[in-house]
Amino acid sequence: MNNHLVLLPVIIPLTGAAVALLLGGHGLLDGQARDGGRIQAGWALGAMLTSLASSLWLLIQVSRSSQPAVFQPGGWPAPFGISLVGDLLSATLVVMSQAVLVAGILYALGSKDQVVRYPTFYPLFLTLATGLTGAMLTGDLFNLFVFAELLVFSGTILTAISDDKYGTEAAFKYFYMSLLASAFLLLAVGSLYISYGTLNMAHLAQRISANPDVPLLPVAIAMLLATFMVKSAVFPFHFWQPDFHTASPTAVSAMLSSVVVKLGVYGFLRMTSLLFVEQAPAIQALLITLGIVGVVYGGLGAIGTHNAKRMLAYSTLAQVGFILVAIGWGDRLALAAAIIFTFNHSLIKAALLMLAGAVASRAPVKTAAFGVVTGLGKSMPTTGALFLVGGLALVGIPPTNGFISKMVLFRSGIEAGQYTSLAAVGVASILTLVYVTRAFQRIWWQPPVEGSKAKPQGDSLLAPALLIAAVLSLGLWAAPLVELAQATATWLGSPAGYIQAVLGG
Amino acid sequence: MELLTAIAVGALFSIAIFQLLRRNVIRSAIGLILLSSAINLFLLSTGAYRGVTAAYTDGVGQKSDALPQALILTAIVISMGGIALVLSMLYIVSARYRTSDLDEVTGLRH
Repeated sequence: MNNHLVLLPVIIPLTGAAVALLLGGHGLLDGQARDGGRIQAGWALGAMLTSLASSLWLLIQVSRSSQPAVFQPGGWPAPFGISLVGDLLSATLVVMSQAVLVAGILYALGSKDQVVRYPTFYPLFLTLATGLTGAMLTGDLFNLFVFAELLVFSGTILTAISDDKYGTEAAFKYFYMSLLASAFLLLAVGSLYISYGTLNMAHLAQRISANPDVPLLPVAIAMLLATFMVKSAVFPFHFWQPDFHTASPTAVSAMLSSVVVKLGVYGFLRMTSLLFVEQAPAIQALLITLGIVGVVYGGLGAIGTHNAKRMLAYSTLAQVGFILVAIGWGDRLALAAAIIFTFNHSLIKAALLMLAGAVASRAPVKTAAFGVVTGLGKSMPTTGALFLVGGLALVGIPPTNGFISKMVLFRSGIEAGQYTSLAAVGVASILTLVYVTRAFQRIWWQPPVEGSKAKPQGDSLLAPALLIAAVLSLGLWAAPLVELAQATATWLGSPAGYIQAVLGG
Repeated sequence: MELLTAIAVGALFSIAIFQLLRRNVIRSAIGLILLSSAINLFLLSTGAYRGVTAAYTDGVGQKSDALPQALILTAIVISMGGIALVLSMLYIVSARYRTSDLDEVTGLRH
């Protein structure tokens, strides 16, 4: 019953962060950026790879044994201790996150940014990984708060030390919003605890379905929704996201805009399929509306920007909108579509942001603003080819994985009979085509600005190339992911299995 | 006592939100500090009125719930770290713009 494997994806990055801090050398004392951290960087990459291997092992074991893997730290039985639960949803999302995080460290290794030579960069990157993984694997609501805070702190500091001179401002804005989100989460924790006397998610789910007429329950649902909306930058709480994702270092912004925003998506999936099953229709109706608003707003915002990284940040608003609409439709195929979309979007968006960052690193002034990078693509054809494939994937054109996610999404919409929202989403997805083509034209087709010349050296393309390879292979050989997502959706449809695995008996 | 706690939580929340929305950076930081106190008090009240003797002692009667205190302890530590981080970032931002008015911090407006 006590499966230690669930602990590994959380504990390996955390231990790795502590050791990496020791490997930081003298730079830690005087706070200077210096180039002595190759050992530290290699260590961080090794820790992240080990962690990815353990999470893959967890995923394989969970899908083979077809029951959630549960670990009760300290030997305390379920409702009293904190449980770590790896069901198929958590395991899939953890594998996705850690694969992208490995690519992030690879990008940082080949990056020309000053920030990656900062002695606390890799430790913070690993604590970011810990926070994200832990928040997805924990089975306790208060523990989720703790891991989410770890994630927020690491992300904030990583952005505040960015090369971009507006990094600190953007980090401040984000941190302010996140403190409000944690305030919402704590209020939800308090409301649920006073009403049901437990914080274990499985136990809560059991007690909520037994007694749904508690006055504080709607308050708790609203607070939890607000929390996850801030985490995922969903429409009314979105305004910090483009600033924050543009100003952070490329290696970090590729993580923030791809996997970190998926924490909110995970939260919505857990809310509708485990905690508040009976109240789910109201939540889903809200998610459909917010999703459509996000798709339209994010698409228009992406068209209106003058910076490639900022455009991709706005595009994340739109893509998260697609996922929310799928969660809102809520039947088995739509949930599978949401999971496939989540997985694929992480790979695509991380690759595209890294490519935009690689272009920016070769610009005369280090920025991804279209005014500066226009025409610079002439001297980097490889980056252009990768960006083209990534852009096609974002739009949803075969043979990329973006096509698979859009196809499953639209098919689930037809089967669910949700023609109004389907039409809105379909029309709005044309916006993706507009902004991706425009960015490609500006950077690779137009003549360069007078006197502007690309630097000979820039960030390494290894990490985005690997991600694009994954994008293509998941597009050509989509069956494993689609089957995995369908199995996950089936699990989500029967929360009893989760509850029984955690509480035992 | 319950009424008093409820009034205190409500008052703290209203003052905190009012201060949060001010433009002055110091006032908004004070708003955050008050907000975290309000939430801690709220969390404390979730377990404060159920028991009559301390947990893990030999006293008679209903034992009080120790969990909310553990939650608050964690939340206090986290919010302390968070406020330290906010203040340090405020220091950098206000030194760069030589102002304490958040409306004059305009670097991110595109």
